[in-house]
Amino acid sequence: MKHLLTTLALLTLVAAATGFVAYQRAGDPQVKAALEQRDAMAWLKSEFSLNDAQFARIKTLHDAYSVECEDHCRAIQEAEKARQDLKQAGADPVRLAEAERSVRELTEICETAIASHVRRCAAEMSPAAGERYLAMVLPKIADFDHRAAPDVGLNPHRH
Amino acid sequence: MNSSNPNDFLPPVLATWRVTPPVNPRFRSEVWARLQSQTRESYATYVRSHLTGWTMVAALLVVTAVWTGHAVGEAKLNAKRDAMVVSYLVDLDPRVQAKIRP
Repeated sequence: MKHLLTTLALLTLVAAATGFVAYQRAGDPQVKAALEQRDAMAWLKSEFSLNDAQFARIKTLHDAYSVECEDHCRAIQEAEKARQDLKQAGADPVRLAEAERSVRELTEICETAIASHVRRCAAEMSPAAGERYLAMVLPKIADFDHRAAPDVGLNPHRH
Repeated sequence: MNSSNPNDFLPPVLATWRVTPPVNPRFRSEVWARLQSQTRESYATYVRSHLTGWTMVAALLVVTAVWTGHAVGEAKLNAKRDAMVVSYLVDLDPRVQAKIRP
């Protein structure tokens, strides 16, 4: 009985150690490091195996898009403020509906703009990586519009 | 007076008595078995005598541990990846920025 228990204990230890090693070795180490550091660009580079030239082109696209993003952001904020002002002032329903439509149109323009941007980024990647990138980001872009703001504590926005 | 001893008949009987016990062919092995049952079996002997069974159990445990460890690691990585995609898109999405910026 003692030998049986000893053997069971030994095998459990071996299994636990093996499981821990398998857990540690799951995934690409560079991707894991980027995720740990919460560095989006480093993650992008390692996750989609970008070479330096691809990475530089995508970074340029992101930088250019951030200006466009800033304009869209401001336009949405202004449209939302105008809608809010109209609501508070008790404006007539026609003007309110017009303000509502303006916000909706700007939101749709933004969704189209961001989707175009990520497609341009995907085009810079290898076909397989680009496809995987789009499969990862496009559903979330569509989802952002239908849900409350996602967890934004990870990375404060910097234009 | 009778001087003869009543036990006098014994010496000739004993002189002719021969004991012929039945031979037990397993006598030695049974003695060794009894001796071994009273001594402690060593761990090495135990393992050797159950080697096949324990090897199978060990193989099963290791395979299960590798699969489980890998699956848990991948699940954790996927959760972090999901959070990273959200964080990445928050930076790119004016709709979200319009909500979170003052």
